[in-house]
Amino acid sequence: MKINNNFLVPLFCMVLLTTSYELTAQVNKLSGFVFGPSNEPLVGASVIVDGTQLGTVTDVHGAFQITDIKNGEYTISTSYIGYKTESKKIAVHADTQVKFNLMENAAELSMVVIQGTTEKTKIEKEGFAVDIIDTKEAGQRNIQTNELLNSSVGVKIRQNGGLGSNVEYSLNGLSGSAVRIFIDGIPISTFGSSFNLNSIPPSMIDRIEIYKGVVPGHLSDDALGGAINIVLKSSTNNHLNASVSYGSFNTLQASFNGLYRYDNSGFTVKASGFHNYSDNDYKVSGRSVLVTGLGGVQTPITARRFNDAYSSTGGVIQLGYTDVKWADQFYIGYTGSSNYKEIQHGAFMTISPYEGRFTQSEASLVNLSYQKQDLFTKDLDLTINGYYGKRNTQVIDTVTWAYNWAGERAIDFRGNEYKYSWGSQQEGGPTEARIDRNVASIRTGLSYSINDHHKILFNHVHNRIDREDSDKLRSVLENTFLGTRDLYKNIVALTYEVNAFDERLKTSLFGKYYQQKTISVDPAIEIGSDGVKKIVDEVVSSNKINNGYGFALSYAIIPEITLLTSAEKAVRLPNETEIFGSDGDNVVANSSINPELSKNFNLGFRFGSFKLNNHQLVVTTNLFTRNIKDRIGLPIETSLNVDDELILYVNQGSGTSKGIDLQFNYTYNKKLFFNFNVSKFDLKIENRGVEIDVPNTPFHTMNANLQYSFKDLIQKKSKLDLFYSLSFTDEFSYIVPQGSNTVGDDFFKVPNQLAQDLGVSYTLPKKDIVVSFDVKNIFDKPVYDNLSVQKPGRAFYLKLNYSIYKF
Amino acid sequence: MKSIFLIIRNITFIALALGSIVSCSKDDDITPDPIPMETESRWITVAAARMGENPGDGNGGTLLYSISSEDAKDPTVSIAPFDNGFIAPSNRTARLQSSEDGNTIFNISYAGDTGGNYTKYTVEGGQNFTPTGSEVSIAPYVGSAPRWIKLFDGDKTGAAVYVSTEHEIDDNDTPDDVTDDIYVRTDAKIGIVTLDLVNSSIKEFQEHSVPLTAEEEANGYYFSRIDMPVLNAAGDKIYIGARLSKVNPETAESDSGYEILGSKTIVLDYPSLLNPTVITSSVGHGNTNGYRSINAFLYNGSVYQANQSDPEGSHILKIGSDNQYDDSYDFNLDEALGVEGAYILAWRPAENGKAVLAYRHDGSAEGVAGAQGFFALVDLEAKTAEKINDIPYDPDFYLFQYQGFVVDGNEIYLTQAPVGENGNIYVVDTETGVVTKGAELVNVEGSHFIGTF
Repeated sequence: MKINNNFLVPLFCMVLLTTSYELTAQVNKLSGFVFGPSNEPLVGASVIVDGTQLGTVTDVHGAFQITDIKNGEYTISTSYIGYKTESKKIAVHADTQVKFNLMENAAELSMVVIQGTTEKTKIEKEGFAVDIIDTKEAGQRNIQTNELLNSSVGVKIRQNGGLGSNVEYSLNGLSGSAVRIFIDGIPISTFGSSFNLNSIPPSMIDRIEIYKGVVPGHLSDDALGGAINIVLKSSTNNHLNASVSYGSFNTLQASFNGLYRYDNSGFTVKASGFHNYSDNDYKVSGRSVLVTGLGGVQTPITARRFNDAYSSTGGVIQLGYTDVKWADQFYIGYTGSSNYKEIQHGAFMTISPYEGRFTQSEASLVNLSYQKQDLFTKDLDLTINGYYGKRNTQVIDTVTWAYNWAGERAIDFRGNEYKYSWGSQQEGGPTEARIDRNVASIRTGLSYSINDHHKILFNHVHNRIDREDSDKLRSVLENTFLGTRDLYKNIVALTYEVNAFDERLKTSLFGKYYQQKTISVDPAIEIGSDGVKKIVDEVVSSNKINNGYGFALSYAIIPEITLLTSAEKAVRLPNETEIFGSDGDNVVANSSINPELSKNFNLGFRFGSFKLNNHQLVVTTNLFTRNIKDRIGLPIETSLNVDDELILYVNQGSGTSKGIDLQFNYTYNKKLFFNFNVSKFDLKIENRGVEIDVPNTPFHTMNANLQYSFKDLIQKKSKLDLFYSLSFTDEFSYIVPQGSNTVGDDFFKVPNQLAQDLGVSYTLPKKDIVVSFDVKNIFDKPVYDNLSVQKPGRAFYLKLNYSIYKF
Repeated sequence: MKSIFLIIRNITFIALALGSIVSCSKDDDITPDPIPMETESRWITVAAARMGENPGDGNGGTLLYSISSEDAKDPTVSIAPFDNGFIAPSNRTARLQSSEDGNTIFNISYAGDTGGNYTKYTVEGGQNFTPTGSEVSIAPYVGSAPRWIKLFDGDKTGAAVYVSTEHEIDDNDTPDDVTDDIYVRTDAKIGIVTLDLVNSSIKEFQEHSVPLTAEEEANGYYFSRIDMPVLNAAGDKIYIGARLSKVNPETAESDSGYEILGSKTIVLDYPSLLNPTVITSSVGHGNTNGYRSINAFLYNGSVYQANQSDPEGSHILKIGSDNQYDDSYDFNLDEALGVEGAYILAWRPAENGKAVLAYRHDGSAEGVAGAQGFFALVDLEAKTAEKINDIPYDPDFYLFQYQGFVVDGNEIYLTQAPVGENGNIYVVDTETGVVTKGAELVNVEGSHFIGTF
């Protein structure tokens, strides 16, 4: 479970998997669970082996694990705030499991002294500019994974409409390919658009790690601006969770996840699945939402979106062994998913909404994962996680009739229904374009603790995508001469971790080596010596090598004030289009293009937690700068290239992002929780000596969350939680800043936005059923994310969760 | 106030006087002109293109600012459209047109959520442009990034065009065997819409497949872009400029380095927009679709059309009253200017047949935004062209996006300013060749001016 403890060399994994070996078991492992009286997991309960230095805290599933226990008899004590401390005498002669059920202690409840460190706090104190989103509560509510990310400090989601629409992620102002997203450390490009943050429900997720600017070695990729890592649930407790949610816009979301472990053999079956559906037929209005009549006369209307439905289904099944001698976890699994999304409009809402344009995608992957602590020798930990499979994406646009915002066939100026001149909804002609990809990704990590203070970690990720394009609407001839693109990426990271001065100083130094090979195969016709035409492949390849390095440091000046600072020379390798161009856009290859580079700095403080009686306060802040060089882009159109087929991507200019993130957490008596964050930055780019502010960038955002818990409100031992959240985005413009006294600026402005949500969750006394009701955007304010594209107004959702933790 | 302006807007003299008061009272940057304007005064609207991402890309907004023609000619007047202008509602550089008297600006928004929307504004001086009439969109017919132009029919009509293409392949009834597949031709379907500028409504829309000759098609040539419609003298035909592209017939992939064919124009009946034919010049080669500025003009009963990307340097071609290229008219800019690789970026004749022409050539310096531009004075009758030396040139003086010239009698107003530097309005007397330096144009970093309207 310690995600950054495990690293490895790729070769090793092959050797390890194919060679049998024996462990010299001098020490044992003690693992188990701490539950409340109704078998609900207690998170952060401390577990101590009396008379030794050994101890730990439980994770979100109430699970704990203590390694390195020598044979003998021990007293194991566990305690949790508000519960009676319990001790058990246990004889340990092999790996042993133990379970505690703690009784509530009403008297102790008023004396809140929190000890121990959660995984979240632990990661947050490593020195990186990192936020950890715990999904436990959100998983039971009607909250999307993307919404959860959007309310996090320094993160902004730009989504082109409702559920399932295209999303772009911005971290401290850097977005697009500067932000890398992972699922369990595997690049999300492996999974494609059917298994992504739109479709994976928070209930399948253990936590989300957001690394800003500086990315630790165990997540290494060419992430220029940062990385988001989705850590799926991986506890080895038997459990089953299922939930179903229904609400506005005919939105249905169902998910389940479960695990069963045979205690004798350690054989474990783990499965999870989701299904999402929404009509997304929310109301929109605005200057382009109109119906056109005779002569082209325009009548503004309030319309319901009519070609925006979304459906996705997916699941993961894994079989293997957990907590056995030769593996902490070993799984072989299968991940499958499919996705269907109608597209109502392009980047903007225009007067010509699309009918019948949609995308669909599928992914089918096999998975192998292996984790083992103390492999061969004590303190040598290994993790392997690999996927191999196929995925495809298709865009269909074959409807030629024009439609209006009323969802009906549009009429032309003569009053007749009409077809678009270009034969499709989106300009550019009908398409059934399909991209097939073979994908493979394997991440291996190996770590070795030299002693309590020094640790070395080695990490390697190999990522490979072979891409083939085709379009059913095109002839075989045209499809044949569409090129294929293969991309192979190897990234190696070496990390050295030191902690000193009684854990007050934690540092990690890392170096990263990037290698990317891209191959383009373009078929061409050649006339052979026999005069017969034959097809030959023209192969061009490019190999890019680069290095990066960085560090993270945390120092507890006093226990309540920790300095957190990190820096990285980050790299983004050019993608396949930037290297090879794209036939459709007349962009040709530039194999000499350089990677984008950025020097990223974070300087932050964590104040807290301060405790006074029942009050608890934590304040964190981070100041950051990003200095990008060699930005990749297309040159401007000039009279020299306007007719050329010779446009190519070039390195042009630099960019900077500077700003501050501030976060404030207050808890009262474990009943009232308040979180507030604010983020502000300046994003500028410079081309040929001229610097401008980047338009279409929400540079100032604020989020607030308030939660209050009532216990025993309706039934004894039940829990009622009230939630309120607010999100604010300051006004921004989608053209560059104008002069001091200009008029007409309003046309380009996205006005400031304030959305407020309310929610209530009721947990039944047995804690197996949680019912949640949420109202989003209670005041029905217009909300926009991207280029003024309107998002849903007020909406209502009801969700039912069912969990069992004991079989 | 608005309705008062509307009532009297045709009375030029009063409107100008009032407009000037409005602009003076609202704006401190402009030097007040106390002398009452004479009746022949008109508005000169300066268009400025702010930098988006790259110097000279003009994608950061198109700004308008109007001054009287007297002020425009006065070098002591200084205007700063980037600070005080009106931002035309267009996501990318707006394609502007103005009424012949300069009192109305027509705009069709280019790309973005309102791409294809037609709006018109009454010019009232300074940053004051009052929207008039209802809005109408041509996007359903020609897309949201329309190539449109105002026709010279007394400000009554605008025309916009679109072309979509599709490759036609014969698989020889063996869908699995690619080697015997034959590329047949590429179908180019054009759409043309005419817009009633007065009543803000659609007049006519037609679509046609426009073929080339069988030989040209077999070689893979096709119309890939069309633009710059213009009426003939009789007003019964409309000419559309065109660019040809070519695929490799073996693979149906885009070709390059191929032979440039004679310049072509698509001719349609007007106003019905029916009966497309293609005419081909044997004098000029290359494209006739221009870029952002009107590329063809009617003069003395014939249409004079510039071409671009001509391997022999740009020509001005003549289409006679018989609606055919007059190949006896051979006006080559390389020869006339004594340069290599002349490329006409924008041009505009006055009624006397003498024109101001913006160009670059192979010897142009490479400036911050591309090849350096120059202005020349051209005589369509004499087929002569001479670089105007009274206008200052700079390597960063960039005219590719240049859009507008005001013709006032024999005088032509133009803007001059290198990218990111201040410049001036210049007034060229086409008859005498005298160049008058006019009002100062205050620039901002990375930005440039794209003409007068």
